[in-house]
Amino acid sequence: MATPEFDITIGKDGKVHITVHGSSGKECVALTDMVRDIVGKEESRTMTSEYYGSPGAVRIDAHVQATNQRSA
Amino acid sequence: MSSVIVLTPIIIASWPAVASAVLGAAGSMGFTIAAAERGKELPAGDARVETEVPNSEVLAETLSRGEKIRIAKDGVIIEIGVDDRGRCTVCASGRGKSKPELKRLGEECSGRIVQQFAYHKLVTELKTRGYQIAEESVQKDQSIQMRVRLGR
Repeated sequence: MATPEFDITIGKDGKVHITVHGSSGKECVALTDMVRDIVGKEESRTMTSEYYGSPGAVRIDAHVQATNQRSA
Repeated sequence: MSSVIVLTPIIIASWPAVASAVLGAAGSMGFTIAAAERGKELPAGDARVETEVPNSEVLAETLSRGEKIRIAKDGVIIEIGVDDRGRCTVCASGRGKSKPELKRLGEECSGRIVQQFAYHKLVTELKTRGYQIAEESVQKDQSIQMRVRLGR
């Protein structure tokens, strides 16, 4: 999995929007909590599909073996 | 992406840290520092509107009584100080300016102070945790955008 990155936007009204990339599950929660503790009060939090993915690399290979069926 | 959060900054800081954010805000709005004369009142007769910086608390022991920063541009003077409860206040005044106009300028200044404070705090704290700023830019809408990643 890629190294986690944050995209941070600080609006001219001071509101801070943070998007975390490349992290999922508990690691993602820990990263967002860290940034929240630096900045202040959490207004909202949205988990995306990547959040529910595995924190490690997972590869699933499906092999389909073709068999020659000879007609009797 | 994996999560998106929206945060409202809380400013609990020493006066020097707030003053640094005020100077950054002044620069980004095109204001310049006016004469910092302690105890001198704003010109009498000018319209004035006072607002406060939300979620702010200036640590009392770091503040001298009556300490304020005054910034000015095009006949508008904005004075940033601290009230009796320790909250950061923004007072906008200007001869010939309407109260809604001064209110808008005061609120914009207040927002920019929060923006500058949040920016400096995030950059400082993330760097101490080993993160580095990979990209940074100021957008047309005056928002600050950064991409941050763990440094090597």
